[in-house]
Amino acid sequence: MFKVPRNFRLLEELEEGQKGVGDGTVSWGLEDDEDMTLTRWTGMIIGPARTNYENRIYSLKVECGPKYPEAPPTVRFVTKISMNGINNSNGTVDSRSIPILSKWQNSYSIKIVLQELRRLMTSKENMKLPQPPEGQTYSN
Amino acid sequence: MAENSGTDPSVDANVDKNAAQDGTMIVVTVKTPKDKEEIVISEDSSVAQFKQEISKRFKATQEQLVLIFAGKILKDGDTLNQHGIKDGLTVHLVIKTAHKSTAGSASPTTSSGAATPQASSSSRTSPAAASSTGGGAGVTPAQPANILSGLGDLSALSGLGMGSSNFMELQQQMQRQLMSNPEMLSQIMENPLVQNMMSNPDLMRQMFVGNPQMQQLMERNPEISHMLNNPELMRQTMELARNPAMMQEMMRNQDRALSNLESIPGGYNALRRMYTDIQEPMFSAAREQFGNNPFSALGSNADSSGAQPSRTENREPLPNPWGPPATSASENRATGTSTSSTSTGGTAPNLSNPLGINAMGLGNGVFSSPGMQSLMQQLTENPQLMQNIMSAPYMRSAVQSMAQNPDLASQVSPGSTPSQQQQQFMQQMLQMFVGGEPPSQTPEVRFHQQLDQLNAMGFINREANLQALIATGGDINAAIERLLGSQPS
Repeated sequence: MFKVPRNFRLLEELEEGQKGVGDGTVSWGLEDDEDMTLTRWTGMIIGPARTNYENRIYSLKVECGPKYPEAPPTVRFVTKISMNGINNSNGTVDSRSIPILSKWQNSYSIKIVLQELRRLMTSKENMKLPQPPEGQTYSN
Repeated sequence: MAENSGTDPSVDANVDKNAAQDGTMIVVTVKTPKDKEEIVISEDSSVAQFKQEISKRFKATQEQLVLIFAGKILKDGDTLNQHGIKDGLTVHLVIKTAHKSTAGSASPTTSSGAATPQASSSSRTSPAAASSTGGGAGVTPAQPANILSGLGDLSALSGLGMGSSNFMELQQQMQRQLMSNPEMLSQIMENPLVQNMMSNPDLMRQMFVGNPQMQQLMERNPEISHMLNNPELMRQTMELARNPAMMQEMMRNQDRALSNLESIPGGYNALRRMYTDIQEPMFSAAREQFGNNPFSALGSNADSSGAQPSRTENREPLPNPWGPPATSASENRATGTSTSSTSTGGTAPNLSNPLGINAMGLGNGVFSSPGMQSLMQQLTENPQLMQNIMSAPYMRSAVQSMAQNPDLASQVSPGSTPSQQQQQFMQQMLQMFVGGEPPSQTPEVRFHQQLDQLNAMGFINREANLQALIATGGDINAAIERLLGSQPS
């Protein structure tokens, strides 16, 4: 199997993030443009319609470690959210509860993670969860 | 990269507009979840300037725009350069309709302009509705103008002076506010989010189900719950509710059908039954909130008088529809909610209009102008039609509410010339209403149409017909009943 070097992958993802590939409901990019290691990323998910997340913009931090893309990134919500698999007090996404993180494949990408999280927002168990007031963030 | 400047003719055109900026022009794609536009902008510009362009193109105010690039929200003070936005890249846009931006949570409702706090307060109530309505019926938070207010985020509401935590009160307050301010109402109705919401049958259904009175009603009338569960029907109803012209059309058809129904002996009873079974409980349900139900007296009179459903004749419950009982009538016009709209329009739930949603109730200020106008014209031209219509209870309250607020009536034809006529017409209607029928004419003349009808039906005893008509105030069906009652059947 051909293993794509980490930086190649991340650069590709950077470009995709900037070009807005996808349907416009998720966005991602480097947290710091000078970050040569391409580790820290910020992501954004626009809450899907007809859910309690609708019209909200969720900010996330995605960290792609040295083993990425072999290892899944760690994802953390910055904007407060109430959702299964997301730690209520600090917004970390539990890799074991989010299927694509627990069954990570190296063909997955940040975009896919964000889209999957968004999709989970539309699930029956999540879509009606009462949400904290808009604009609140986790303190860390 | 610098070569992108001014090569396209379109860019040149825009360059004139953006004359204030130097630097090369870049084409940035702005993407919303629904839409995509290419905006040409100077690469040195700030995010604020960028938003200005965008607001023009997307027809939204700058405050409503939230720009996201590479996972970061672009703040007005930043520059495009800062974020590395270059030619050909895509920026995501979220247009916050009736929502505050993600900065700031509870308080700023009062800060924005006139209508928006109302709208956003209603949107505030909706996350409340989300949590509280119907115990987990889970309406999405983004529903503005959701009159099914509730708890939750009351801090925002208290900013508006609605400090009450009892959501029934809140609801009433909301409605009163809306009632007293038809502009707000119309604005809310115009809000595309409202329309979106209304186009979502699941949502409406949840709203209905969430209201405890509806639940009661549903228990008593399983048909209603069937209806609610039938998405097709819901959607149709929603369509109706949203589209006032269609609604008017529909109502007119219903009126005709109903009056036909009325003329069938025995059909009147069916109608009455329908009314008592369905409408009354709705009225009573709404009554708790809205004050006295002018039709309850009617209903009870009809019941007590047995074979004498003298609906039109009994003027008691309508002492002066345009007089003091302003609250009941005006609140009868409350919009947006299921029950209120159902009961207030007083539109009898009928086949194609299951909940009796009265679009007039729903969209008084803005909607229903062309339909209403033509309806009005028809009415004026044909007093007979008017009679027939009057005899239907639901029309009553609609007319009541129309006349209740002559401003509203003139709003019904917004900005168009016949407002004068409308006013006049309203006066006439008022007269007719209070008088019951066109005054200063002999009964024979007044009722000659009805007499003809009765004749055609086979009631040849003109005297008796006339008597009956006079007694029932021109209500043919009541007259028929009377006549039949006095004859050995």
